[in-house]
Amino acid sequence: MSGILIAVILLTLLALVFGVLLGFAALKFKVEGNPIVDELEAILPQTQCGQCGYPGCRPYAEAIANGDKVNKCPPGGTATMEKLATLMGVEPEPLNAEAQSQVKKVAYIREDECIGCTKCIQACPVDAIIGAGKLMHTVLTTDCTGCDLCVEPCPVDCIDMIPVTQNLKNWNWRLNAIPVTLIQETLSKEIQSKDPQLEEEKRC
Amino acid sequence: MLTLLDQLDKGTLWRSPGGIHPPEVKFLSNATPIGQLPLASTYLVPVPQVGENCTLAVKVGDKVLKGTPLTQGTSIWHLPVHAPTSGTVVAIEPRASNHASALPVNTCVIAADGKDTWCELVPNQLDDLSHQQIVDKIRSAGIAGMGGAAFPTHIKLNPVSEIDLVIINGVECEPYISADDRLMREYSQDILAGIGIIHRLLAPKRIVIAIEDNKPEAAKAMQAAVNQCGLPAGSIRVTVIPTKYPSGGEKQLIQIITGREVPSGSIPAKLGIVVHNVGTAFAIHQAVTQGKPLVERVVTVTGKNVSKPGNYWLPIGTPVDHVLTATEFTPEAEQKVIIGGPMMGHALANIQVPILKGTNCILVPSSQEIGSAPEEKACIRCGECATACPALLLPQQLFWHAKAEEYDKAASYNLKDCIECGCCSYVCPSDIPLVEYYRIAKSALKQAADEKQQAERAKQRFDARLARLEEEKLAREAKAKEAAERRQATMTGTDKNAVAEAMARIAAKKAAAAQAATGGATIEQPATAELNATATDTTAAPKGKAAVAAAIARAKAKKAAQANTESTKTHSVETDSAQIDSSANVDETESATDVIAQEAPLSQKDKVAAAIARAKAKKAAQQTDTAPLEPTETADSTSELNAADDKKAKVAAAVARAKAKKAAQQAETNAENGLNQTATPAVDSKANVQADVNDDTEAAATDINDAEAIKKAKVAAAVARAKAKKIAAASAESKTDAEIESVDVIRAEANVASPSIAATLDTATTEADAVLPSQGSAAEPIETAQLSSEELKKARIAATIAKAKAKKAALAQEANASSDSSVTND
Repeated sequence: MSGILIAVILLTLLALVFGVLLGFAALKFKVEGNPIVDELEAILPQTQCGQCGYPGCRPYAEAIANGDKVNKCPPGGTATMEKLATLMGVEPEPLNAEAQSQVKKVAYIREDECIGCTKCIQACPVDAIIGAGKLMHTVLTTDCTGCDLCVEPCPVDCIDMIPVTQNLKNWNWRLNAIPVTLIQETLSKEIQSKDPQLEEEKRC
Repeated sequence: MLTLLDQLDKGTLWRSPGGIHPPEVKFLSNATPIGQLPLASTYLVPVPQVGENCTLAVKVGDKVLKGTPLTQGTSIWHLPVHAPTSGTVVAIEPRASNHASALPVNTCVIAADGKDTWCELVPNQLDDLSHQQIVDKIRSAGIAGMGGAAFPTHIKLNPVSEIDLVIINGVECEPYISADDRLMREYSQDILAGIGIIHRLLAPKRIVIAIEDNKPEAAKAMQAAVNQCGLPAGSIRVTVIPTKYPSGGEKQLIQIITGREVPSGSIPAKLGIVVHNVGTAFAIHQAVTQGKPLVERVVTVTGKNVSKPGNYWLPIGTPVDHVLTATEFTPEAEQKVIIGGPMMGHALANIQVPILKGTNCILVPSSQEIGSAPEEKACIRCGECATACPALLLPQQLFWHAKAEEYDKAASYNLKDCIECGCCSYVCPSDIPLVEYYRIAKSALKQAADEKQQAERAKQRFDARLARLEEEKLAREAKAKEAAERRQATMTGTDKNAVAEAMARIAAKKAAAAQAATGGATIEQPATAELNATATDTTAAPKGKAAVAAAIARAKAKKAAQANTESTKTHSVETDSAQIDSSANVDETESATDVIAQEAPLSQKDKVAAAIARAKAKKAAQQTDTAPLEPTETADSTSELNAADDKKAKVAAAVARAKAKKAAQQAETNAENGLNQTATPAVDSKANVQADVNDDTEAAATDINDAEAIKKAKVAAAVARAKAKKIAAASAESKTDAEIESVDVIRAEANVASPSIAATLDTATTEADAVLPSQGSAAEPIETAQLSSEELKKARIAATIAKAKAKKAALAQEANASSDSSVTND
């Protein structure tokens, strides 16, 4: 009898001790916010374009952490989507929006047409447009994320999105693969390809 | 245990890992002394070459001498470029670059004048110069590393850490190149002088000149120069190292000489070691002691397809095609032109590209020497490449990941430490162009890193922006709160009342506007525009007790309009009339604003008239906006009106007031005359008068009837006065408008208005009378009008409505008079 009593008391004590320990740990090592949001945000391209339907990349990262789809980021492209899918442990899905051209673009203000309305400055999420009221504005191309948000508000349509020019610094070896074709080869191929056409025509 | 310095003195060498022994073809070019080539006609100097931030020091059309700097810059990284010969700058434009991509870069095109005149050179005594002056001279001479990488030399000569060992690189391991070999043989004294300057700047414990054992003549010449030089004995030595590719690589050479490995991602200066090329040492000597900037260098032109292979002094910027022509190049099918050696060089897509500071070789091999790339086969995992790799990497793993585009994994195999020497490709039994894969992977990684960095910056900027907006919002709120408090504190009772009154006034105005708008909306059903105008005239009246009168007037107007539409159908000038009507509306608007300007000095009656006129003006404006006939013209006139009315309305008002008084007296008599005259004159000539005019004159007639009924000339006088005012205002307006080129209608109207106000009034009233008997249906309204006239107040309001109508009638008639040539004034 006393053995059972001792066991019960011992187990109760143990339970109490561990309960206190756990309770303390829960307070002491409490994690603020959801750590996965930071990881998700690090993957997102930070264009802050709002094409996902959220006002910025962080809100979208939070939404993904809360179960939103991972395919809503057109600027990030498929690569970003795949990373997000891997991190969240979900199946990769094709991009939601129309696959936009992957060429990086930056805004360009045709300065002689700018009327200095400051609307684009207010729209820019990264403060990459400088200028003042009734004075010409211009885009800091190094800071422009190419999010397109300034194009819509411009009352005189003087903002163009132009592709980033390729120079020796950002040149990609693969991009410049010059397709060298031998003239004789192409000629012979053309002849070959013409022949079946001719035959088809004859059949018709 | 020997120290490092002891071992250096002993000449101990260490083995560097990997490496290959490609066949030596230096004999093609190293037999002849360094030659000169004839001057090219144009030189292409890319600007800027190293260090992006600089400004051009020349412009198109400038004459330059050999050695004139072409760029200026303040950045520590900036390295000026100099004119390679004397001549004229003919263009500064993007031209194809001497780069594997052949992308165009900004290039200064200099047309040579053939004289090759040097600019003024300032020779220096080395002892007179401080260290900083020497470094500045080296920088302003534009000296970059001549081994191939073209790193700015002045940065390497100004290290932050202590330098123990300087290695002078005369290894030249690429199988075809012999430029440094010939330079060392022929200019050993100059090179030693340059080394002396380096010694003075860096004060190292030892200087080692490293030369491969396949260049015994060069080693001998350098040793002789070392023996003669004035540097402290024992501090400098020539070390001959075994031939192996790529011993000439900076990190490999350090490993061979010292046995120490430069850590990944670090630079040799961290180990207290600096490596300079022999060509750089020569250029330093030229720059410091003779003041010559770096405008030419030794370039090996070699390969079986040039008949005069050898080393040549080539000005920086010489087009490659000129060099090839001068050395009698015979191209063959699929000819490759390689810049640099066969191991690390790149083939040119375009030979109209310049020689750069780092260009040490132009190789034009025959198809026997370097054949076309054999077909790539599958990797068989033989591991040959790993054995050959001088950087101790795992090329097959790198290849695997690079091919699969798993660049992250490739990076985890230290891809960035690859020096792209090409040993792995050379030994690969499957002929895989491994280095190409690494280059692609490297550029992709670099791009990813750039994107990451940019994303990070974008995030920072976005966060900063949010913080700023939040701050601004708070500041604004605080300010508003403070201002409100201040206002509360200072505001007195009367101020509060004033504010309340102002608010009430605004509300009343809005209500009036809304009423007017709804009035306009309901009456827009009538087909003809002129009818619409009349209708709005009548609806503008309902104020106070005028509702009954207005209803009567509206009924009248409708009946009259019905009659008129019938009559207008018969007339062929329908379109004309409509046109004139729209212009009349515009005129009306003008007159209305004038009335507003006059508002203050006018009597109570006039105020009501003015209010109606204002409402009418609004309507007219709406109408003119919607009028399909002359939208542009009306818009113009209204905008002009807006511009004019501020300043000129006041003046016009003053003038008009004076005139109005005179006109009123005249008009009174005229109106009476008009009443008496009842009938005869030219009804036929007025047959084509517009429906609008009919309408309004009919209304005017009502007005006259009212006046008769009440028997108070006052009303008639008021009508006349208003008319006169309007006409006077119109004429005054047209005077001022003439200056700002008003619409033609107004000017034409001015012509009609100016001859005699009385005449127009006369015709208006005459016409009214002329219309009256012709329309049987009009009799009834007139009776009702007489009935209504029993009430004086109502009549007064009716009079004001009529007055407004009369104005319009007069205007329409004027307009008509201006357009129809058959009118009375003519």
